Parts: sequence; C-alpha cells; structure tokens
Amino acid sequence: MLKSPALDVPPEPPAKRRKTSPEPESDDNTPAPIINSTVKDLAAQLDEAERKKYVKGRKLGSGQYADVFSAHLLSDPKQVFAIKKIKIGPEVKEFGISYDSLREIRFLQELNHPNIIKLHAVFSTKSQNLNLVLEYLPQGDLLRLIQDTKGTTYTPADIKAWMLMLMRAVHFCHVNGILHRDIKPNNLLIAADGSIKLADFGLARAMADPFQPMTYNTITIWYRPPELFFQAQHYGDAVDVWSCGAVFAELIGREVLFRAWPETEINMVRLICEKVGTPTEDNWPGVSKLRGYVTPSEIIPLRPKEQWSASFRAIGEVGVDLLMKTLTLDPRQRLTAEGVLRHPFWTSEPRPSKLRDLPRRGGGKETMGEDLTQRGGELPTANGEGGKKRGDKVAKKLDFGIMTK
Amino acid sequence: MSLHQPPPVTDTTSTGECPICKSTRYMNPSLRFLVNPECYHKMCESCVDRIFSHGPAQCPIPGCKRTLRKHRFREQTFDDIKVEREVDIRRRVAKVFNRREEEFESLRDYNDYLNDVEDITFNLINNIDVDETTRRFEAYQKAHEKEIEENAQLAEEEKQPQNQVQLKKRMDRQAAAERQRQLQVASEARTGTAGITIKGLKAKQKAEPEPPVDPFGGFRFVDKYFALQNDHVWEGIQDTKKDIRHTAGGYDIADYTHRSLVAAFSGLGVFIADEFTERTKAAQDDEAVGTARADIGLKDAQMVDAA
Repeated sequence: MLKSPALDVPPEPPAKRRKTSPEPESDDNTPAPIINSTVKDLAAQLDEAERKKYVKGRKLGSGQYADVFSAHLLSDPKQVFAIKKIKIGPEVKEFGISYDSLREIRFLQELNHPNIIKLHAVFSTKSQNLNLVLEYLPQGDLLRLIQDTKGTTYTPADIKAWMLMLMRAVHFCHVNGILHRDIKPNNLLIAADGSIKLADFGLARAMADPFQPMTYNTITIWYRPPELFFQAQHYGDAVDVWSCGAVFAELIGREVLFRAWPETEINMVRLICEKVGTPTEDNWPGVSKLRGYVTPSEIIPLRPKEQWSASFRAIGEVGVDLLMKTLTLDPRQRLTAEGVLRHPFWTSEPRPSKLRDLPRRGGGKETMGEDLTQRGGELPTANGEGGKKRGDKVAKKLDFGIMTK
Repeated sequence: MSLHQPPPVTDTTSTGECPICKSTRYMNPSLRFLVNPECYHKMCESCVDRIFSHGPAQCPIPGCKRTLRKHRFREQTFDDIKVEREVDIRRRVAKVFNRREEEFESLRDYNDYLNDVEDITFNLINNIDVDETTRRFEAYQKAHEKEIEENAQLAEEEKQPQNQVQLKKRMDRQAAAERQRQLQVASEARTGTAGITIKGLKAKQKAEPEPPVDPFGGFRFVDKYFALQNDHVWEGIQDTKKDIRHTAGGYDIADYTHRSLVAAFSGLGVFIADEFTERTKAAQDDEAVGTARADIGLKDAQMVDAA
C-alpha cells in the first residue's frame, strides 16, 4: 500500500516563510543557501525525489487525454513500469485537475489486489501535469483477443479463468466500497503472465450515502445496466455486475452483446428489451417509479432459459445460469459480486485454465498505451468492421490541441 | 532393417558406369545412380525400375545376397559411401536416443549418457559387437517407445514457430503422455528388463492432485469486530428503505450500514505505535523489506495456483 512519504520526513516549515520575507541580518544560524530563492518547499522536494526514481522511455501511446510512456527504475532497470502522463488542457486552469485522474489516483492507491492494476507512484513535472506510475502490462487487452477471431482461439476453461479473475477484482472493489463503473474488455489488460488486470478507475467512485445522488450517465453505453438508462440516482454494486455479465457474454459469443447502433440510449433500452425482456412492475418492482422509465408500447416477455442456452451453449448449463443471473433486469435480484463468486460455475467442470495456458497477445504494449489514453466511458475506437469507424479520417479528427502549444 | 553389414564397396561407378547394365553417362546423360541403405550398392535408376518394380528382389551385385525393396532406394547425399552409411546410422540412433538435457539430474549424467550413445553408434558403424549392440538397441527402443515418441514430438514442435494454440495442444498432449508413461513405468517395474539402462535420469514425480478451485482466490473478508444485523434502526436511514427510488435502482441500505460499521471499527486492533516501530525496523534492515516482498510474492504465487 502506498504510504504518504510526508510521514517519514520531519517537517521543516520555516524554510518557505523565510524565503518570502526579507532576510533578517541578525539571523545567524540559518545557512545562506537555504534562503536562496531556488529552494523548493517540502512538497516539491518530495515530488522531485519521486520523479528522479524513474527513467522515462519510449512513448507507447498518445491520446487526447493522456500520453503513456514506458519507464524503468533508475536504480534497477529491470523493473519496468508504464507512466501515464495526463495532459493538461486549458480547462485545468479553470477547474483544476480533472476528476478522472483524481479518482484514478485516489482509488488505485488504496487497492492492492493481484487482478487490479497497481499504482506505484504519482509525481508531477515542471508543467504541473500529473504522472501516474502504473504496472507495466505488455500483453494488450481482452478486447483484442475477443476481436481477433482468426488468430486466437480460446476454450470455455479460458473464459472461466478470465471471468474468475475479473470477478475477484470487482468483488475486491466492492468490499472496499468502490464502484468501478467502467468495466469493459478494453479496460481488462493482460499481464505478462497472462493474468487479467482491471484498469482505468477514471469513472470509479465510492458507494454513496443514502440520499446522496450519483450520476446515471456513467459506464460505457454498451455495458450500462438498465437502471442507469432509467436514470436511477441511487444504485449499488449491481451496476458493475451487469457490466461483468455483458463482458462474460462477449467472451463467449465474441461479439458485443448489447451493441446498439447508433449508440443512443433509446436504442440500448430497446436492445435490452429484445435480448433480456421488457422491464415491468412484475419482474422489477418499482421500476416505473424511476425517473427515466418510459412505458413500453409492447411487452416482450423475459427470455426463457432455453433461449439463453441456445445462444451460449459453449459455456454449459451452469455458465448460462450464471450469465442469466448477472444479466437480471432488477438490480436487487441480480447477483452481487460475492454471489457470483459463490456460484457453482467456478467449481464445476472444466477447471479454469492455468495462467500459463491462457492465450495472450491481445495486441502489444502499444495497446496498453492506447487503452490508458482513453477517457472513461468512451467506446473503443477500433470496432469490428475493419477496425476503423467511418469518419475516422475526416478532418474533424485533426488534433488542434497540438497547434495551441 | 538391420544395421550390421560390412559395406562391400566396389567402386566402379566413379567412372559413371552402372555395374549392372553397363550403361554410361556418355550414352545416357540423364543417368542417375541410386543406393539402398541395406547394402549401399549403387545402380542406375532404370536398373532399379527393371529389377525391383515387381516386388522385393535380391541385390544383382554378385556375392550380395540381400533382399532389396524399391521404395528404399534413394539418391546418395555424400560422395563417399562410408560417410553416407555413417550418417544413416547416426540418424537412426539419434532418433531412438533422443533424451533431452532437462531429463537428467546433472550435466555430468547427461554427458555420460551421450558417451554411452556414442559408444553404441561407434560399434554399429565399425561393426564391433554388432549382434549384441543391435539387440540392446532394439530392446531399448521397444522399452522406451512412448518416451521416444514424446521427445520427438517436443523436438518437432520446437522447430515450429511458437503459436499459442499449438502450445496449448502440446500441453494437453503432454499431460496425456504423462499419464500413459506412468502406466507404462508401472508395468515395466513388474516385467523388469530394458536393454540399456541409463543412469542419472530424473525421477518423474507424480503430479500432486490439484486443490479445489477457490473462487475467492485466498482472500477472506470477515468482519472481526462486529456483526451486521438484519435491520439497523436509525431514523436517518429509515426513509430510504421505503423510498422506491432508492430500492428500485438497486441501492442497498445494508451496504451502507456495513460500510459505516467497517469505518467505525476497522481501527480496532491496529496499533500505530507498533506499526511505527515495525516500519523503522524495516527501514533499517533491508532484508526485512526483502522478506516482506517475498511474502507478497508468495501470496501472489498462491493466487496463481488457485487460478
């Protein structure tokens, strides 16, 4: 766990104060260099000490929101890290550091779990931008593996191993009172040993107190649960479980389960109604009281288990049962992360694959660069058809941010 | 096929003349000479076709009584027929004695093994003790059929570019082969003999039965200092239980009460003074940090096992 370095260092408050005031001639016991204007205050000193521990290397990726570099320890070049340098835009002067990066720092430094990306240090550089020293995960992400239908094959045992790692990470977040709120395959990075690490806590937040409203406009739209579409402002850990369910289905089917096109909320609700069933007072008591609830024109009954089994036969009966329980409309009936881990799916046959047998290479280290530069809640840029979106090359994509420098 | 024959090489073909039909390269520029590893007598392609097309026949060279088959005839690689033969024998021996270094306890054992193999090869090439050597060779081959095949497979796969799918298949095959071999070793222990004994082989230990899958990965979250009641009565939160907007969205008040209790009691059993002395000790003693790291590593390793 990361400890504040300030605890170890004895405070020395006078240095700064003296700097600003005119130098008193009588003060003999203060050595001259300290009064020098180049002296930095304690925070800056600590920051510099932290910064000097790392050697920044090649740029792995660059985005609108952040740049990612590879880096290593000065004292031990074998220890490799990824540094996520958050770009400062003009809004920083007005609003200060973005919420996303603050959230990421706040939650990542508290979470220490084998399946959650580790934040080793944070420091800032001259231009006051933030540098997050993160665990180096060179094997890309799960999205690449899912989309690489030609080059990669994986078995139900592999899916089970990945999902188990994901659920452990989510469960760990939840017992610590944190909602991740952006679980999707390209936030699941693959470590060198093949294990899955949950990354990007830019949208995470602590679970709210009663009567404290939370935003419903969160989680990447394809993985967003129905209660958020209905603008519920009080929700719980069930939102993450729905996302996990969507990831689970995506791993099995190798395509996004709720892929509304165009990506509007109304299309998403329609798609969920088609694939799971229409939320009604019967299957979700109280749903009609939610703010964004629209009375449906036609009611599609809940999808029966046989149909689920038909679409997801590969994962077996027990797996389909788990999938149905994570994709339950009513968040109170949906399994909790702990409930998911207690499901018989994990202990049934086949046994989850060993780490060394898991497919890797969901893209290379550049993929990590790409993933970390994304702002939370964005849809992945490369999607299915040819990897490129229409309009990717159109002029509006020019990055005018560069010109203002 | 046997390995024990003297090469009665009569080199008339160096002039480019077939010893059987006497046709020369001068007469037939496309003349090709073939040999059969049974006796290494050279003859031209058309003779081979003529004599052996109707099935196995005796070598037409006077004095050579070997029965040859057409499909074994091939072009010779080396000019010197002795080299050709030696290479053939070496290839055959290497195919059977294909143990890998990692199978041995030490490098010394591996080198001893290679020495034994070279002795056998040498005997076969130079026709020393041929009958006895061949018998032992074949006995070994028979006894270790499975292992030979397995090692051959490994070597084959190492040649190919590493593909994850292949790797996985290989692992599965290995596991199957492991079971097979264990069965065989058991049966061998009963029967006894195995032509050549190799010393210093690593004992193949049985894989330990895997522990059952722990979905929680070794993490336990137990509330030590309090027990959560079904209903904590406090007027500040009473309304949320009835508020449909709270409940319908999946907000669970029990989560909140639990979190509050954790926040209230998680400090119990933590003694900051103790932690401070621990930390100063650790800072003084780098080794202590090392062991702490190792502990974390151990925990991670256990995670890995559980997965």
